[in-house]
Amino acid sequence: MILLCGIPTESPLAMVRKALDASGEHYLLLNQRQFSVMGIMLEIADGRSTGRLRVNGDSYPLEEFTAIFTRLMDYRFLPELKDQPDGSPQRQLCRNLLDTLNRWAEVAPARVVNRTAAMGSNFSKPFQAQLIRRFGFEIPETLITNDPELVKAFRARHQRIIYKSISGVRSIVQTFNDRDMERLENIRWCPTQFQAFVEGTNVRVHTVGHETFATAITTDATDYRYAHRQGGNHAKLRAVELSDDLAQRCLELSEGLGLAFAGIDLKVTHDNRAYCFEVNPSPAFSYYEAHTGQPIARAVAAYLAGG
Amino acid sequence: MWLVLCSTQDISGLWAFQGLQLRGLRPIELVTVEMLPYSLKWEHTMGVSDPEFSITLVDGRVIKSGAVRGVLNRLTHVPLHHLAGGPDYDYATQEYTAFFMSWLFALPMPVINRADAQGLCGAWRHISEWVWLAGRAGLPTPLYSQKSTDRIDETVEIRRLHPVGTPTITAIVVGERVFGPHLPSRILTGCLRLAQLAKAGLLGIEFAASASENGWTFAGATPMPDLRVGGEPLLNALAEELF
Repeated sequence: MILLCGIPTESPLAMVRKALDASGEHYLLLNQRQFSVMGIMLEIADGRSTGRLRVNGDSYPLEEFTAIFTRLMDYRFLPELKDQPDGSPQRQLCRNLLDTLNRWAEVAPARVVNRTAAMGSNFSKPFQAQLIRRFGFEIPETLITNDPELVKAFRARHQRIIYKSISGVRSIVQTFNDRDMERLENIRWCPTQFQAFVEGTNVRVHTVGHETFATAITTDATDYRYAHRQGGNHAKLRAVELSDDLAQRCLELSEGLGLAFAGIDLKVTHDNRAYCFEVNPSPAFSYYEAHTGQPIARAVAAYLAGG
Repeated sequence: MWLVLCSTQDISGLWAFQGLQLRGLRPIELVTVEMLPYSLKWEHTMGVSDPEFSITLVDGRVIKSGAVRGVLNRLTHVPLHHLAGGPDYDYATQEYTAFFMSWLFALPMPVINRADAQGLCGAWRHISEWVWLAGRAGLPTPLYSQKSTDRIDETVEIRRLHPVGTPTITAIVVGERVFGPHLPSRILTGCLRLAQLAKAGLLGIEFAASASENGWTFAGATPMPDLRVGGEPLLNALAEELF
């Protein structure tokens, strides 16, 4: 049986559920917002995990789950808990439930999309970039520094540079401009990441097991996710085919990072060089599927079903 | 040069620094985590060229990655007391930690232990994962049990395999050798296997007194053991690994 965890109305989870329904696969949906009717018990002995999951009075052996798809959100932001004080029994129950689920998913002999440990590389973009490089991708020229003079020299060398967060905190990629020069001294407080701007076409590659789905994004914005906010037109998305070599490298990269499902952000230059910016271990693929019709959710469902 | 990275409070790390110096690893530099956030200049680059970094410390020393021959890394966190209370403290903490993860990972080998996505000096795993790995490594393990109805608050309390106060002893794996107490061969083999599974060049493994396997039952593991447990032989092994 397949276990789906999260909030049923969240688009990626809803789409995978719909795909499982269409294929007739047997699954259990764990609605995170109904935590008060759930319970889980995990035991580990001699390198094996066992236990039981209880939902609405029904009980399931953990060993029966052959795959787990998790889109669990931070319990502190659940509407059901927003008026609960810190340390309330409800908060503690929800926290312990999610924690036990996560602990089990880390050691379960099942297909897990994705395990927390494998998602860790995304916490540090330059750390992940060092791993990405090993799989034959180019990475943008990068400078992390707290010295304004080094940034000025970097800008002079590359002409157009961008800056973005170092950590996994979501940030809008911005082109560094003359107004930013005026506040450059602020970086003395905290090293900041700058990169040479790479000209080319943004390509998001979703890898699912041994399949790839590539989407080209046409935009004049620095960060296509925020194209409208950055003063441009909405980004245009279209499905594209990758070369065999590039598709294979994407699959090897995801596998190397321990990710059964990933969203790889590439920029392909006019002379066909593939720069890789980031590997997202929990991709919101619904945006790409909605614009291109690529059957990503169906592929995730098939992977969970053992295909 | 060789580097020892540790806290000013890390007696064990400071002890190792002295010991490695005495064993001829020179020049060897002690860089404490307390001074790193105050560094005058950070420069960490990557791209077509291999990742590199240069740190100009507040005392004037310059640490360049290309000059480093080996590292004992015992950094666990980035202390940012000087930023505490500021509006961007949480963001700065995440940025600094992510930054440290990257430049530490860029250190040329050998590095004991190398930064990992789960920790600055190697993976800090939850006890449930350690006991699972220990079982797979063939070590005797107690039953681990966790329930959603448990009263424990793990944000302030550590989940344990044995009651607080249970006497424990520690063995330390360095490369292919195990230091500390005399171990039965099956336990020794299990320790080495656990370090391999954990991809840790250096790993402290705790055992609790119990009736099974002549009294050896797994109690926990850490990439930050008290190195003094291994005494002079451990220092010799560290020096060999780093040379």
